[in-house]
Amino acid sequence: MEAYIIAGFRTAVGKAPRGVFRFTRADDLAAEVVKQLIASVPNLDKEEIDDVIVGNATPEAEQGLNIGRMISLMGLDTEKVPGVTVNRYCASGLETIATAVAKIKTGMADAIIAGGVEVMSGMPFGGWKLVPNPEVAQRHPDWYWGMGLTAEAVAKEYRVNREDQDAFALASHQKAIAAIKNGHLKDGVVPITVRENYLDAAVGAGQWDASNYLDAALHTGQQGGGANPTKGGNSIKTREYVVDTDEGPRADTSLEALAKLKPVFAAGGSVTAGNSSQTSDGAAFVLVVSEKKLKSLNISPIARLVSYGVAGVPPRIMGIGPIHAIPKALKMAGMTLDDMNLIELNEAFASQSLAVIRELKINTEILNVNGGAIALGHPLGCSGAKLSVQLFHELKRRNQRYGMVTMCVGNGQGAAGIFEML
Amino acid sequence: MVNRRIKLTQGSGEHGPGRRIKKVAVLGSGVMGSRIACHFANIGVQVLLLDMVPRELLPAEQARGLTLDSSTVRNRLVNQSLETAIRTNPSPVFSKHTASLIQTGNFDDDMAAIALADWVIEVVVERLDIKKQLLDRVEQYRTEGTLITSNTSGIPIHLMAAGRSADFQAHFCGTHFFNPPRYLHLLEIIPTPETKTEVVDFLMHYGDKFLGKTTVLCKDTPAFIGNRIGVYSMLALTHLVEQLELTVEDVDKFTGPAMGHPKSATFRTADVVGLDTLVNVAKGLSENAPDDEAKEIFNLPSYIRQMVERQWLGEKAKQGFYKKIKDDKGNSEILALDLGTLEYRKQEKVTAATLEATKPIDDIRKRMKVYEQGTDKAGALFRAMHYPLFEYVSRRVPEITDEFFRIDDAMRAGFGWELGPFEIWDALGVRETVEKIRAEERRIPGHSGEVADWVRQMLDSGHESFYQVKDGVRHYYDAQSKSYKPIPGAESFIILNDLRGQRTVWKNEGLTVIDLGEGILNAEFHTKMNTIGSDVIQGLHQAIDIAEKDFRGLVIGNDGANFSAGANIGLIFMMAVEQDYDGLNNAIKTFQDTSMRLRYSAIPVVAAPFNLALGGGCEFSMHADFIQLHAETYMGLVEFGVGVIPGGGGTKEFALRASDEFKEGQIVQQVLRERFLTIGQAKVSTSAAEAFELGYLQAGKYAVSMNRNRLLADAKAKAVELAEAGYTQPAPRADITVLGKQGLGIVYVGANSMRAGNYISEHDQKISEKLGWVMCGGNLSTPTQVSEQYLLDLEREAFLSLCGERKTLERIQHMLTKGKPLRN
Repeated sequence: MEAYIIAGFRTAVGKAPRGVFRFTRADDLAAEVVKQLIASVPNLDKEEIDDVIVGNATPEAEQGLNIGRMISLMGLDTEKVPGVTVNRYCASGLETIATAVAKIKTGMADAIIAGGVEVMSGMPFGGWKLVPNPEVAQRHPDWYWGMGLTAEAVAKEYRVNREDQDAFALASHQKAIAAIKNGHLKDGVVPITVRENYLDAAVGAGQWDASNYLDAALHTGQQGGGANPTKGGNSIKTREYVVDTDEGPRADTSLEALAKLKPVFAAGGSVTAGNSSQTSDGAAFVLVVSEKKLKSLNISPIARLVSYGVAGVPPRIMGIGPIHAIPKALKMAGMTLDDMNLIELNEAFASQSLAVIRELKINTEILNVNGGAIALGHPLGCSGAKLSVQLFHELKRRNQRYGMVTMCVGNGQGAAGIFEML
Repeated sequence: MVNRRIKLTQGSGEHGPGRRIKKVAVLGSGVMGSRIACHFANIGVQVLLLDMVPRELLPAEQARGLTLDSSTVRNRLVNQSLETAIRTNPSPVFSKHTASLIQTGNFDDDMAAIALADWVIEVVVERLDIKKQLLDRVEQYRTEGTLITSNTSGIPIHLMAAGRSADFQAHFCGTHFFNPPRYLHLLEIIPTPETKTEVVDFLMHYGDKFLGKTTVLCKDTPAFIGNRIGVYSMLALTHLVEQLELTVEDVDKFTGPAMGHPKSATFRTADVVGLDTLVNVAKGLSENAPDDEAKEIFNLPSYIRQMVERQWLGEKAKQGFYKKIKDDKGNSEILALDLGTLEYRKQEKVTAATLEATKPIDDIRKRMKVYEQGTDKAGALFRAMHYPLFEYVSRRVPEITDEFFRIDDAMRAGFGWELGPFEIWDALGVRETVEKIRAEERRIPGHSGEVADWVRQMLDSGHESFYQVKDGVRHYYDAQSKSYKPIPGAESFIILNDLRGQRTVWKNEGLTVIDLGEGILNAEFHTKMNTIGSDVIQGLHQAIDIAEKDFRGLVIGNDGANFSAGANIGLIFMMAVEQDYDGLNNAIKTFQDTSMRLRYSAIPVVAAPFNLALGGGCEFSMHADFIQLHAETYMGLVEFGVGVIPGGGGTKEFALRASDEFKEGQIVQQVLRERFLTIGQAKVSTSAAEAFELGYLQAGKYAVSMNRNRLLADAKAKAVELAEAGYTQPAPRADITVLGKQGLGIVYVGANSMRAGNYISEHDQKISEKLGWVMCGGNLSTPTQVSEQYLLDLEREAFLSLCGERKTLERIQHMLTKGKPLRN
């Protein structure tokens, strides 16, 4: 039995930690997308949804307590639909779609909401509390390396130089800026209204405001100007704004500006903040249904997942994950890279992206045509679903058939999914 | 870290109950203004810093659509100045949080706010007309009774006060901060005849106790005291150079530390300050001090005039008396100027028998005597410089001050002289020197050979010296009463040198125990750099023994250049090389036991660190019951630099403090991490405030003395207070939570990642892992409560094992021979 993707939405992606979603919780952000998803299929009785599967790479703090279940409660406004959280780091949002498809194909469900969310603002990379196994840490410290170090290791082993990384990063920004300008990144974006409570001036301001102080007025013999105890910024104000455009792309960047940045993960290294993906906030979800449900809804499907493959690679060069995952997915589908019309390769780092492109000889004409994570951001657990939603809209716009979403994954893994437009 | 405010030892209200400084307005944000603002913020005062509104928009401002009405533009000058100041190295602020106390504004929009200030400080450009205009506006807005001071290095104060209201004049006074105000100790206070006594007293006291300066009361005479004497002394040298056939190197060698002057001596200092500054002060003096008998000296010798013409002004012009060049291989070399040909040439090595003879003499007074008797060029220069200087300063009383000791104060605090001119004169013998002044060849303009009458009268009345110490208090000769009087405020200083004669209780080669009175002992280190070796350790135990028996408290403090540079690593190196691990183990154990004894004794122990308090000096301080420290204390556990971990209880203490900071439900690994990194990165505080932020100080267990001269007295007062409050010996701790394996994993991951990122060497990684092992209490399966001794044993074991590493020995050797850490 086939499984069909019948709807897909995402938020615009905000920059972390000081971007447009810095005050927005992951559960709120995800619930908004889920609401929009349901609203887009008015014939569907939401209580017939079997599960909500949420990808998240840092399921703790605001994202803890099984955020999947919270999102189903908040987004669907019913207690009858369960929810689960899935963590395969940066592939989580794709993994959940594959899981939904697999469940439906095996008859275990008829309708599943799948996707991912990640709000990296206000959360340290890797989470708050790191308690590695000391014995393993001594034997295999690289199993615990930060991603930046692995990007340096890939750059070294696959001989990707700094100039090429910076040029790749610049191209990502240029493509993204053009895409936003042309409206190619607009479709499928749920506008999010952000409400922020704040003080209208920094605490401590007003200390030198002569009109505030009666004693000053007495000293100078002038009127106090209606001394107002709240003047100087102690009352809570609220402002609202709507976010509907990706925040990351920079029109003003250049090779010169990128070349000036210092390596951030290793002394004498080549990986900089400019040629790495941005830390981001975002959410994206799709609705997957069985053939039976599709018919009963009398709706035309968007796409189907042809195949999904994951692979393990050495953790110290985790960035090469797609080199092993892509052939797996292609083999399952009985296809080659030549069959692909578009590829979304998650740009965790320019170094690993270039290693993957060169190793698999990927046609860059069809790769990340609207820019990638270096420009648009990488909200870890959300990215797989977000890239899928982007892929569907771009394939549709181009009236093309096959596309791939692929990424490297922390701790030495890769994932790749092939979609067919219907 | 919550408590960011610096804690000052509270004043006793000596300056009257009425005047308190909560807010200060600083007008003018130039080099001096911005830094004065920073220094007030340093002591916790709210500052309003104002400057001019710019007349034109910058292209960047235009591009952003700003106008001359935008506050960003209107406050641009002041904000830029403040930012530049804060970025200056060394920093004018105690901590990165300090600047939040400074609010900026401009003269056009924010002058009304000065009505809220307790003190308005004018620091605009050194032009009388501009200063007067601004003071007109100050008068318009200021609240009656508030202080108003003008900071200047040379504009006559009375000219600024003239014609203003009585209240203004009564509260108006001149000040002269020396640049940089945070670091230079001299603050000249220049009242006018109309300035109220209460205001003068207040400024003298506040500047001393709260701003930490040596306040020097000056008369309103050209260049006041410091620059008058300083520039005279400098220019006298420039006149002597040709007559005594001296080179630039000769002068700097002869007039440096050997003479009790700073290392930069004479010409090096001139290069740093800038020749133009010097020339300006000289010019001002030659115009404004027409009656100065030495005024010819202010006419510069031709080589200086030519240097100014060629713009060879010193460091800012990249050349002055010295010039740094780079050869083809990129090696840099500093050339010296030949004053005859005005060409730069290679420096020549200067040797002089007199300097060799003075070298072994630590006591500066005795050294001066030996220096004076030198028969070579150095000795000749000493005499040619000092005899006319003595005559000149004697004749400046009462012209520039009524009390000669203020001249000494100014030269010590403002120019870094170890002794002021009258103190040197005392050291040489006043009476015999008077004859030598007369006999000395006349080389310098104004040198007549005759000292001022008051000096002769002093000798005639049987007073043989300018100063005397009576009962540990310094007295000065008062010409009016022809008797010795205590130096005002001196009773609140403790100077160990003045006490050691009568009050020494015990001593060995490395440490002297002195009775400070009121039942308090002081343990004074006096080794090279005040490093800690067996003598110091034995001395500390002895001091505690004596104090526990017959006294009620102990201060650990000294009057050296540094509190302590740390353990004597030479000894450790020798034992490690000889693989005398039993000996080493015992030595470290003794070190640890000493730290523990400082905390666990029957009497309160107050450490009084200042300047460098590194390694063992930091560890001992941390184990005291209380730390009374100078605001300028550079404290840190720097053992990584020599390839070991803190082994005198420092690692244990940081694990203990981390444990005390753990709270239920908290991510304790983060707390431990911060402590771990402080040791792992060998972080040294740049101020007392930062020492708190780095965790070397603990809330409620320290206080800051702004004035270095008050440190020992403040520490003693603290010891008395603790004793009187009923000090009891603390109980040993056995409730220290260590994380065991729950912390160890992140230690290994962190150390490996830093290594993989090339930020640290393999040896650093090894030391880091050892440090982590100790701080986690080893590989316990679960967080566990342990005793201090358990941690000390781990600490000692780790220290010992590192001493067996070749790379650690290389680090120690490098530090011993080169004086800086080796990264291997």
